[in-house]
Amino acid sequence: MSGPGEPGHEQDSEPASVVPDVGPTPGPPSEVALRVDHLSKTFPGTRALIDVSFAIKTGEIHALVGGNGSGKSTLIKILAGVYHGDAGGTITVGDTTLAADHTTPAKARALGLHFVHQNPAVFPALSVAENMVIGHGFSTNAAGSIRWRALRRQTQALLDRFQINVHPEALVSSLRPAERAMVAIARALQDQEGQHTGVLVLDEPTASLPRAEVVRLMGALNRFARAGQTILFVSHRLDEVIDTADQATVLRDGRLAGTLVGDEITESRLIELIAGRTLDRMYPVMPPVESDEVVLEARGLTGGPLQGVDFQLRRGEVLGIAGLLGSGRSELLKMIFGAYPIKSGTLLLDGKAVKFRDIGDAMDAGIAYVPEDRGGEAAFLNQSLADNVVASSISRYWKALRLRNRAMDHDARDIIGRYFIRASSEKQIMGTLSGGNQQKVVLARWLSRKPRVLLLDEPTQGVDVNARAEIYTLISKAVGDGCSVLLVTSDFEELSRVADRAVVLSGGRVTSELRGAEIEPVRLTELAFSTQEVAS
Amino acid sequence: MTVVADTAAGEDGPSRVPPSGTSGPPGRSRGRELALEFTERYALVVLFVATLIFFSVWSKTSGTFPHATNIKNVLGGEAYSGILALAIMIPLVCGEFDFSVGNSAGLTQVLCAGFMARLGFAVPLAILVPIAIGAFIGLSNGNTVARIGVNSLIVTLGISSVLLGIVQWYTNGQSISNNISPWLTNIATDEWLGLPVTLYILAVAALIVYYMLEHTPYGRYLYSIGSNRDAARLVGLRVERYVLIAFVLSGTLAGVAGVLLVSNSGGGNPQAGQIIDTLQALAAAYLGATAIKPGRFNVLGTMIAIYFLAFTVTGLSLAGVADWINSVFDGGALFVAVLVSTIIGRRRAGTS
Repeated sequence: MSGPGEPGHEQDSEPASVVPDVGPTPGPPSEVALRVDHLSKTFPGTRALIDVSFAIKTGEIHALVGGNGSGKSTLIKILAGVYHGDAGGTITVGDTTLAADHTTPAKARALGLHFVHQNPAVFPALSVAENMVIGHGFSTNAAGSIRWRALRRQTQALLDRFQINVHPEALVSSLRPAERAMVAIARALQDQEGQHTGVLVLDEPTASLPRAEVVRLMGALNRFARAGQTILFVSHRLDEVIDTADQATVLRDGRLAGTLVGDEITESRLIELIAGRTLDRMYPVMPPVESDEVVLEARGLTGGPLQGVDFQLRRGEVLGIAGLLGSGRSELLKMIFGAYPIKSGTLLLDGKAVKFRDIGDAMDAGIAYVPEDRGGEAAFLNQSLADNVVASSISRYWKALRLRNRAMDHDARDIIGRYFIRASSEKQIMGTLSGGNQQKVVLARWLSRKPRVLLLDEPTQGVDVNARAEIYTLISKAVGDGCSVLLVTSDFEELSRVADRAVVLSGGRVTSELRGAEIEPVRLTELAFSTQEVAS
Repeated sequence: MTVVADTAAGEDGPSRVPPSGTSGPPGRSRGRELALEFTERYALVVLFVATLIFFSVWSKTSGTFPHATNIKNVLGGEAYSGILALAIMIPLVCGEFDFSVGNSAGLTQVLCAGFMARLGFAVPLAILVPIAIGAFIGLSNGNTVARIGVNSLIVTLGISSVLLGIVQWYTNGQSISNNISPWLTNIATDEWLGLPVTLYILAVAALIVYYMLEHTPYGRYLYSIGSNRDAARLVGLRVERYVLIAFVLSGTLAGVAGVLLVSNSGGGNPQAGQIIDTLQALAAAYLGATAIKPGRFNVLGTMIAIYFLAFTVTGLSLAGVADWINSVFDGGALFVAVLVSTIIGRRRAGTS
């Protein structure tokens, strides 16, 4: 969910740095394995990365940390040659310097940068040995047949080198998650042949690993580093950064927020740099919660990543749900909407236990859901704006064996006006609208049904500042009419401005609850990133 | 903290639509846009009319092509292909292929003839039972595709081959032409108000499908499912059920097409109702999606496409062009149609 298209990291004002920016660490060139100088990346409408410089010493484990949309994924993609940086930036590995606007995946490889991405592209149905050579071409004999024995031998040597205790012929699907990640790492590094000139870049290697596996993988990284391997890893687990990294670079809103070395890497320092103080944005004043009436209540909701979630949502209240990716926040919303199976636990609507067999039931009960992935799960991109607006209520226009197309168009025109949608007409094709306007269309689709409970998953992701303000104006109107909102957002600044109350989801449970002035970005960051349960 | 960056990038912001002011593009380009839209909508119609004029004045065909008999023959003779095109179009709307329509028609056709010839079924029964069997084939396809989630192309291609085998087994490779109800065979030759009765049958079928797709919620649901299945599910649509129904409708129409085939050929012919008929139907549906409502499968476009293909093939054969030209033409039409409708669709979705 991070990304350059993301909102809010506007170019118009300077984020107040908590510490002065730290330039590239000076030192003899032989000691620096990777140096990034003045790296910027501009996307139409946003600057994802602004003049970032830092250096990594040979044989060190360097962590790259930052919140969603801070620019770390963009930086990794520029290093990998997937994106071109803006002109002026350079990437130096050893003695070779590359202009950031001329990167390609092949050049990155030639420089000695080896990447393992978040979901390592291992092939579960193939053996470890096959996985090792898959991107390199199989070595074959004169008849074109694969030389299996040689392959097994090479793989065994590789596994020994990286101390991975698996059989070359084992299927990758049978390996533990940490071993799979290690196989991916070994594959990325196999060309290095013992010398450690290159840099291993890991993009959130632990994002989908359970706790015990993280420890195994981090242990392996430490071993590689002691052997002289330089490692850059992106992570959002602060504990592993603190335990493992020799240096940590923190990005915020596309800029370098600071670099911490050795003992400076503490939880409080990291959180200070990650959260920082962000831009003042225009948020409408949400109407105060006037009722004590509980509309929706969850008791011990379990399923998927969730392990017993409890909360209460009052009439006219905005309840924020803070949590990291993978904390189960999206699954929680889907469960309430009848779109994700509930293993156990109860959902109560107006004090009565409800069981939604499908989404239609939840909709009938007055629940509405705006998913996180607009293009994938909400927008009908090749259909008209009118089709998109009425998509959730078509049957309403079915009268006397005829669809009232004219009434539909009329309502759609009306909605365009009321929901601040910038479009030439209700016939305009959804895909030709800007992200912010598409989001307003999706919101209008649900708000026009006058829902009692509105579930919002990252409602302002990928929209510009103005649209963001308009979206919150619309939500505040609905709240004023008595709608209750469950709001999931990774933007804790936004959460602190909009929510009446916030719960933090961590390890599949609600670990703490904040009210009013307590809802504060630094505090939220701290709670969401912390892995232990915190008493509220 | 994942990697949607590529899609999010540049998708937003003021570049596409100015954040203030709701007006469309300025005058001149708006005019060009309208002209483009008009061309897109009516290009096939214009091409169709031009083809008719060409064959009417071309010295090789001017003597035969523009005659009432020829025109009536083509109009009436395309009922089978037209209904087959409607059959394949319905699953296409929701993004699924039914490649079994041709062979379903092939089976229902020999069954209809066989029931009359071998079992002495009454005419209504000999017509309705095969249509019901067509519907059942659709149900089975739909069940496999919608509920279990198997790729529809593979499922229906496989079933096509199975149906072909059953036809060979049932007929022993011989045509069935005894005891065929004259009432049924007369349908192919009868006229009403100066036009072939089969044309009316096609028109009724087309109207029903048109009504269903454009004027009932079910039709809208199918288009939504075709546009974005996950989003359709998340606005409360019962995607599996609707897709299943689409296949049942497709199978039923294929059954109707099979009965018309009996009427056309006066019996059950093991060589009729083949995969090539499916491909022709597919060509018409895709060609139809380039016209009238570009980028969207639609009934009127499909009907125009069916007659465009039929009149062109007739004109060519009247001119004495070798038979192999026909399959080149049909295949070429499918290729061009898919190409054009993909380009149009991409532009409409704003992804080009």
